[in-house]
Amino acid sequence: MRLDQARPGEQVAEYQTGPIPREQLALYAEASGDSNPLHLDPAFARNAGFDDVIVHGMLGMALLGQLLDTQFAAFTLGCFDARFVAVLPVGQSLHCTATLAERTTTTLTLDLEAFDSTGKSIIVGRASLTPPA
Amino acid sequence: MAIDRRHLGYALPPFTVEVTPARIALFRKAIGADAGAPDIAPPTFMKAVEGEQNSSRRILEALGVDLKRVLHAEQQFDYLGPIRAGDTLTVQRTVTDLYDKKNGAMDFIVIESTVSHALRGLLGRSRQVVLVRNPQARAGAAA
Repeated sequence: MRLDQARPGEQVAEYQTGPIPREQLALYAEASGDSNPLHLDPAFARNAGFDDVIVHGMLGMALLGQLLDTQFAAFTLGCFDARFVAVLPVGQSLHCTATLAERTTTTLTLDLEAFDSTGKSIIVGRASLTPPA
Repeated sequence: MAIDRRHLGYALPPFTVEVTPARIALFRKAIGADAGAPDIAPPTFMKAVEGEQNSSRRILEALGVDLKRVLHAEQQFDYLGPIRAGDTLTVQRTVTDLYDKKNGAMDFIVIESTVSHALRGLLGRSRQVVLVRNPQARAGAAA
Protein backbone atom coordinates (compact mmCIF):
# COMPACT_ATOMS: atom_id res chain seq x y z
CA MET A 1 0.00 0.00 0.00
CA ARG A 2 1.51 3.28 -1.08
CA LEU A 3 1.02 5.96 1.53
CA ASP A 4 -0.10 8.61 -0.94
CA GLN A 5 -2.87 6.34 -2.21
CA ALA A 6 -4.01 5.09 1.18
CA ARG A 7 -7.39 5.98 2.61
CA PRO A 8 -8.21 6.33 6.30
CA GLY A 9 -8.50 2.93 7.92
CA GLU A 10 -6.01 1.28 5.60
CA GLN A 11 -2.76 -0.18 6.91
CA VAL A 12 0.24 1.71 5.57
CA ALA A 13 3.19 0.11 7.37
CA GLU A 14 4.21 -2.79 9.57
CA TYR A 15 7.26 -3.79 11.59
CA GLN A 16 7.99 -7.25 12.93
CA THR A 17 10.35 -7.79 15.84
CA GLY A 18 12.10 -11.01 16.73
CA PRO A 19 11.50 -12.72 20.08
CA ILE A 20 12.50 -10.35 22.90
CA PRO A 21 14.96 -12.24 25.13
CA ARG A 22 15.95 -11.58 28.76
CA GLU A 23 19.25 -10.15 27.58
CA GLN A 24 17.38 -7.42 25.69
CA LEU A 25 15.37 -6.55 28.81
CA ALA A 26 18.63 -6.23 30.75
CA LEU A 27 20.12 -4.08 28.01
CA TYR A 28 17.01 -1.91 27.86
CA ALA A 29 17.04 -1.53 31.64
CA GLU A 30 20.63 -0.29 31.47
CA ALA A 31 19.99 1.97 28.47
CA SER A 32 16.79 3.50 29.84
CA GLY A 33 17.59 3.56 33.54
CA ASP A 34 14.38 1.61 34.24
CA SER A 35 15.69 -1.01 36.64
CA ASN A 36 12.27 -2.17 37.89
CA PRO A 37 12.90 -5.84 38.84
CA LEU A 38 9.55 -6.75 37.25
CA HIS A 39 11.52 -6.88 33.99
CA LEU A 40 14.67 -8.54 35.34
CA ASP A 41 13.98 -10.78 38.31
CA PRO A 42 11.69 -13.80 37.73
CA ALA A 43 11.09 -14.27 41.48
CA PHE A 44 10.01 -10.63 41.83
CA ALA A 45 7.75 -10.98 38.77
CA ARG A 46 6.11 -14.11 40.21
CA ASN A 47 5.62 -12.31 43.50
CA ALA A 48 3.91 -9.53 41.53
CA GLY A 49 1.50 -12.04 39.98
CA PHE A 50 3.16 -12.87 36.65
CA ASP A 51 4.55 -16.19 35.38
CA ASP A 52 7.90 -14.64 34.46
CA VAL A 53 9.43 -11.24 33.82
CA ILE A 54 7.53 -9.01 31.41
CA VAL A 55 8.79 -6.73 28.65
CA HIS A 56 9.08 -3.05 29.60
CA GLY A 57 6.06 -1.21 28.20
CA MET A 58 8.51 1.45 27.08
CA LEU A 59 10.56 -1.11 25.16
CA GLY A 60 7.39 -2.09 23.30
CA MET A 61 6.70 1.58 22.60
CA ALA A 62 10.29 2.01 21.43
CA LEU A 63 9.75 -0.85 18.97
CA LEU A 64 6.57 0.84 17.74
CA GLY A 65 8.76 3.92 17.37
CA GLN A 66 11.09 1.85 15.22
CA LEU A 67 8.24 1.48 12.74
CA LEU A 68 8.09 5.29 12.58
CA ASP A 69 11.88 5.74 12.42
CA THR A 70 12.37 3.16 9.67
CA GLN A 71 9.33 3.83 7.48
CA PHE A 72 8.52 7.50 8.09
CA ALA A 73 12.09 8.73 8.39
CA ALA A 74 11.48 11.76 6.18
CA PHE A 75 8.64 12.96 8.42
CA THR A 76 8.97 15.04 11.57
CA LEU A 77 7.34 13.45 14.60
CA GLY A 78 5.03 15.77 16.54
CA CYS A 79 3.21 13.51 19.01
CA PHE A 80 3.52 9.85 19.92
CA ASP A 81 1.09 8.25 22.39
CA ALA A 82 0.69 4.71 23.67
CA ARG A 83 -1.65 2.80 25.95
CA PHE A 84 -0.25 -0.44 27.35
CA VAL A 85 -3.33 -2.64 27.21
CA ALA A 86 -1.73 -6.01 28.04
CA VAL A 87 1.63 -7.20 29.32
CA LEU A 88 4.05 -9.03 27.01
CA PRO A 89 5.94 -11.94 28.60
CA VAL A 90 9.68 -12.23 27.94
CA GLY A 91 10.53 -14.27 24.83
CA GLN A 92 7.54 -13.06 22.82
CA SER A 93 7.73 -10.98 19.66
CA LEU A 94 5.73 -7.95 18.59
CA HIS A 95 4.01 -7.29 15.30
CA CYS A 96 3.57 -3.53 14.88
CA THR A 97 1.15 -1.93 12.45
CA ALA A 98 0.37 1.61 11.33
CA THR A 99 -3.02 2.51 9.88
CA LEU A 100 -3.82 5.83 8.28
CA ALA A 101 -6.12 7.77 10.62
CA GLU A 102 -6.19 11.19 8.98
CA ARG A 103 -4.21 13.17 6.47
CA THR A 104 -4.21 16.93 5.99
CA THR A 105 -1.79 19.07 4.02
CA THR A 106 0.25 19.64 7.16
CA THR A 107 -0.21 16.50 9.29
CA LEU A 108 -0.28 12.76 8.90
CA THR A 109 -1.99 10.93 11.77
CA LEU A 110 -1.39 7.21 12.20
CA ASP A 111 -3.14 4.71 14.43
CA LEU A 112 -0.52 2.32 15.78
CA GLU A 113 -0.94 -1.10 17.33
CA ALA A 114 1.42 -3.81 18.52
CA PHE A 115 0.25 -7.43 18.75
CA ASP A 116 1.78 -10.57 20.20
CA SER A 117 2.22 -13.66 17.98
CA THR A 118 -1.35 -14.80 18.73
CA GLY A 119 -2.80 -11.49 17.54
CA LYS A 120 -3.55 -10.22 21.05
CA SER A 121 -3.32 -6.45 21.32
CA ILE A 122 -0.45 -5.33 23.58
CA ILE A 123 -0.06 -1.62 22.80
CA VAL A 124 -2.47 0.80 21.14
CA GLY A 125 -1.04 4.11 20.05
CA ARG A 126 -1.18 7.09 17.79
CA ALA A 127 1.38 9.34 16.15
CA SER A 128 1.12 12.60 14.28
CA LEU A 129 3.83 13.57 11.85
CA THR A 130 4.62 16.50 9.60
CA PRO A 131 5.39 15.54 6.00
CA PRO A 132 8.70 16.64 4.48
CA ALA A 133 8.50 20.11 2.92
CA MET B 1 -5.08 1.76 49.48
CA ALA B 2 -5.76 5.08 47.88
CA ILE B 3 -2.80 7.34 47.33
CA ASP B 4 -2.92 10.39 49.56
CA ARG B 5 -4.18 13.28 47.45
CA ARG B 6 -1.82 15.61 49.26
CA HIS B 7 0.83 14.32 46.84
CA LEU B 8 -0.90 16.12 43.98
CA GLY B 9 1.64 18.61 42.66
CA TYR B 10 4.61 16.72 44.08
CA ALA B 11 7.67 17.66 42.03
CA LEU B 12 11.26 16.57 42.02
CA PRO B 13 13.86 19.33 41.99
CA PRO B 14 14.84 19.96 38.34
CA PHE B 15 17.88 17.96 37.31
CA THR B 16 20.27 17.98 34.38
CA VAL B 17 21.13 15.11 32.05
CA GLU B 18 24.16 14.82 29.79
CA VAL B 19 23.26 13.06 26.55
CA THR B 20 26.54 11.48 25.53
CA PRO B 21 26.93 9.77 22.14
CA ALA B 22 27.49 6.50 24.03
CA ARG B 23 24.17 6.97 25.82
CA ILE B 24 22.26 7.24 22.55
CA ALA B 25 24.25 4.37 21.05
CA LEU B 26 23.38 2.09 23.98
CA PHE B 27 19.70 3.01 23.71
CA ARG B 28 19.70 2.37 19.97
CA LYS B 29 21.33 -1.02 20.54
CA ALA B 30 18.76 -1.93 23.22
CA ILE B 31 15.83 -1.26 20.87
CA GLY B 32 17.52 -2.77 17.81
CA ALA B 33 17.67 0.54 15.95
CA ASP B 34 19.85 0.43 12.87
CA ALA B 35 18.19 3.15 10.77
CA GLY B 36 18.33 6.89 11.27
CA ALA B 37 21.03 9.31 12.27
CA PRO B 38 23.22 7.95 15.09
CA ASP B 39 23.51 11.36 16.79
CA ILE B 40 19.73 11.97 16.98
CA ALA B 41 17.90 10.23 19.81
CA PRO B 42 15.06 7.82 18.93
CA PRO B 43 11.58 9.11 19.89
CA THR B 44 11.20 7.24 23.17
CA PHE B 45 14.69 8.20 24.38
CA MET B 46 12.96 11.10 26.13
CA LYS B 47 11.81 8.50 28.68
CA ALA B 48 15.42 7.59 29.43
CA VAL B 49 16.26 11.27 29.88
CA GLU B 50 13.41 11.94 32.29
CA GLY B 51 14.07 8.66 34.10
CA GLU B 52 17.64 9.70 34.93
CA GLN B 53 18.72 9.64 38.59
CA ASN B 54 16.09 6.99 39.32
CA SER B 55 13.51 9.77 39.17
CA SER B 56 10.48 7.55 38.52
CA ARG B 57 11.27 5.31 41.47
CA ARG B 58 11.92 8.33 43.68
CA ILE B 59 8.51 9.79 42.79
CA LEU B 60 6.73 6.48 43.45
CA GLU B 61 8.54 6.03 46.76
CA ALA B 62 7.65 9.58 47.79
CA LEU B 63 4.00 8.67 47.14
CA GLY B 64 4.34 5.49 49.22
CA VAL B 65 3.72 3.14 46.30
CA ASP B 66 4.80 -0.52 46.36
CA LEU B 67 6.84 -1.13 43.18
CA LYS B 68 5.46 -4.68 42.91
CA ARG B 69 2.02 -3.24 42.21
CA VAL B 70 3.07 -0.78 39.52
CA LEU B 71 2.45 -1.01 35.79
CA HIS B 72 2.96 1.61 33.10
CA ALA B 73 -0.54 2.28 31.71
CA GLU B 74 -0.08 5.13 29.25
CA GLN B 75 2.65 7.29 27.78
CA GLN B 76 2.42 10.41 25.65
CA PHE B 77 5.20 12.45 24.09
CA ASP B 78 5.07 15.84 22.38
CA TYR B 79 8.15 16.71 20.35
CA LEU B 80 9.23 20.30 19.82
CA GLY B 81 12.80 19.64 18.76
CA PRO B 82 15.26 16.77 18.46
CA ILE B 83 17.43 15.51 21.31
CA ARG B 84 21.00 15.28 20.03
CA ALA B 85 24.21 13.68 21.20
CA GLY B 86 26.13 16.23 23.25
CA ASP B 87 23.02 17.96 24.62
CA THR B 88 22.82 19.01 28.24
CA LEU B 89 19.14 18.89 29.17
CA THR B 90 17.08 20.04 32.13
CA VAL B 91 14.24 17.81 33.32
CA GLN B 92 11.29 18.86 35.45
CA ARG B 93 8.83 16.19 36.67
CA THR B 94 5.56 16.81 38.49
CA VAL B 95 2.65 14.67 39.71
CA THR B 96 -0.28 16.37 37.97
CA ASP B 97 -3.18 14.00 38.67
CA LEU B 98 -4.20 11.22 41.06
CA TYR B 99 -7.37 9.18 40.62
CA ASP B 100 -8.72 5.70 41.20
CA LYS B 101 -11.07 3.26 39.48
CA LYS B 102 -13.02 0.13 40.43
CA ASN B 103 -13.60 1.09 44.07
CA GLY B 104 -9.92 1.71 44.64
CA ALA B 105 -8.71 -1.54 43.06
CA MET B 106 -6.70 0.59 40.66
CA ASP B 107 -4.92 3.84 41.51
CA PHE B 108 -3.57 6.04 38.73
CA ILE B 109 -0.69 8.50 39.00
CA VAL B 110 -0.11 11.03 36.23
CA ILE B 111 3.45 12.40 35.97
CA GLU B 112 4.13 15.20 33.51
CA SER B 113 7.68 16.06 32.54
CA THR B 114 9.43 18.65 30.45
CA VAL B 115 12.83 18.34 28.78
CA SER B 116 14.54 21.60 27.92
CA HIS B 117 17.79 22.80 26.41
CA ALA B 118 19.38 26.06 27.57
CA LEU B 119 19.62 27.50 24.04
CA ARG B 120 17.01 25.59 22.03
CA GLY B 121 14.32 25.84 24.71
CA LEU B 122 11.63 23.24 25.34
CA LEU B 123 12.42 20.09 23.33
CA GLY B 124 9.67 17.82 24.58
CA ARG B 125 6.84 17.13 26.96
CA SER B 126 5.99 13.75 28.41
CA ARG B 127 2.89 12.51 30.20
CA GLN B 128 3.06 9.16 31.96
CA VAL B 129 0.15 7.33 33.59
CA VAL B 130 1.19 4.77 36.20
CA LEU B 131 -1.28 2.10 37.29
CA VAL B 132 -1.05 0.82 40.87
CA ARG B 133 -2.87 -2.48 41.34
CA ASN B 134 -4.49 -2.95 44.74
CA PRO B 135 -5.79 -6.54 44.86
CA GLN B 136 -7.02 -6.28 48.46
CA ALA B 137 -9.28 -3.39 47.52
CA ARG B 138 -10.84 -5.46 44.73
CA ALA B 139 -11.30 -8.46 47.03
CA GLY B 140 -12.81 -6.17 49.61
CA ALA B 141 -15.16 -4.64 47.06
CA ALA B 142 -16.28 -8.07 45.88
CA ALA B 143 -16.90 -9.42 49.38
